[in-house]
Amino acid sequence: MSNSQRTHSQSQTRTRTTGSDQPLETTSGETVEETRAEWVEYDFQGEAKMVAEDLDVHYGDDHALKGVSMEIPEKSVTALIGPSGCGKSTYLRCLNRMNDRINAARVDGSVRLDGKEIYQDGINLVELRKRVGMVFQSPNPFPKSIRDNISYGPRKHGDIETGLLARLLGRDDSDAERELVERALKQAALWDEVHDRLDDNALGLSGGQQQRLCIARCLSVDPEVILMDEPASALDPIATAKIEDLIHDLAKEYTVVIVTHNMQQAARISDQTAVFLTGGQLVEYGDTDQIFENPRSQRVEDYISGKFG
Amino acid sequence: MTRDEYQQSLADLRADVLSMGDLVGSRLGRALTALSTVDEAAARAVAGADDDVDRRYLALESTCIRLLAQQQPVAGDLRFVASSFKILTDLERVGDLAVNLAQYTLAADRKRFEEVDLSTIGDLAREMLDDAMTAYRTDDADLCRAVAERDDELDTLCQRASERVVRELIEREVDEGDTWAVEELLDDVSRLLLIVRDLERVGDHAVNIAARTLYMVESDPALV
Repeated sequence: MSNSQRTHSQSQTRTRTTGSDQPLETTSGETVEETRAEWVEYDFQGEAKMVAEDLDVHYGDDHALKGVSMEIPEKSVTALIGPSGCGKSTYLRCLNRMNDRINAARVDGSVRLDGKEIYQDGINLVELRKRVGMVFQSPNPFPKSIRDNISYGPRKHGDIETGLLARLLGRDDSDAERELVERALKQAALWDEVHDRLDDNALGLSGGQQQRLCIARCLSVDPEVILMDEPASALDPIATAKIEDLIHDLAKEYTVVIVTHNMQQAARISDQTAVFLTGGQLVEYGDTDQIFENPRSQRVEDYISGKFG
Repeated sequence: MTRDEYQQSLADLRADVLSMGDLVGSRLGRALTALSTVDEAAARAVAGADDDVDRRYLALESTCIRLLAQQQPVAGDLRFVASSFKILTDLERVGDLAVNLAQYTLAADRKRFEEVDLSTIGDLAREMLDDAMTAYRTDDADLCRAVAERDDELDTLCQRASERVVRELIEREVDEGDTWAVEELLDDVSRLLLIVRDLERVGDHAVNIAARTLYMVESDPALV
């Protein structure tokens, strides 16, 4: 099921440098010293849905994520920003163990969901990814009907059964399926546009509709956390606005974590923002208002102001 | 460094706001000199031409709006543009007050209340304005706080001056039969009170500028 290894060996020896804002790189871009994130102490209201502690990821020899500790508040939008290669997507993929699918990846450290370690033996990855769903950069609907895209997950999980065999066995969840499809599509703000063509192939939808369908598909299995990796970067401004509105609404019920390259998007839609900078480090984490109005780290200020990166 | 053009436009904005500050400061200075020397020609020059300040104000306001719309500044840049946007308004208002002062000079009979020391009040207000703009130019948070602290001093001076004028009005014996003399006295008193009030307002605008500058420099809204 998994090719990744997990060790705890490094987490004890790390030193915290929280509060310092010393440059971590020389002008030539070499890393001088590995340090922990600088301004990552973040007091937020409410409960933490997910907690990462001393998270390290290596892809072979490449140290992609360095000692990231970060709590994700429930029922809110957490944005992860930073330049390409900063580790933000790597971090996101740790939250539902998608990195397990990469052979060379090695994850060290801890990630807890509702207090329970997800990097421990015996974790059911299918169940984990049902609770922590994911939406990718490019819309990737199944080449099936709109309806089947939504009901595929619940069928796989055995939550609904329809068809001849089910009827012969005395079970027919067709009504439940209809309700589920309608609810998921409404939640994803797509129902009004597709309700009269649910049997059409999903690949016939526009890019923005396909992405909302993917969000609906994610919602159909009733997740608790939704991870989004640049969900609107391939979309036009109107479709992007719809996705952003949707994310805002989803955060009332779900915990949303979104990676975005669009800093204005992060500023618009997120409650808290984590800034990763080159070298796989979390450099600053705080209220989005604070990050974009008054970041504490000079490097973060320079990055979000477009002065480097 | 990336976004060179954007960085240059931020630097240009700061230079332009400072230049407008210089213009407004010099107009205020000329109005104050005209007031203390009862120089009608100088007063007329200040009273007659506020268009220049207004034009700059509108142009720089547009610059700020364009920067916000096109560049979406964040962090320190955002605080700089937002603060500059507010500071422009204060400078424009000080320009208006300089015009007011010049107009009072043209209309007032300063001999009547010579004992009221308007030049001390005016100098203090002008210094506060200059200091606030210096703080804006040099990102000097301490100077911002110093400007705010001096406002109490200015307020006290203004209050004393007003009380003095009003007391004199009460105590002065005027021949009630001489309607013309009563009217003239009332005009002079109200004018003088307006001058004092306007100088106090110059100080308030200087404090506003210092407050926005402090927010700009340290993200500290304490003075706002």
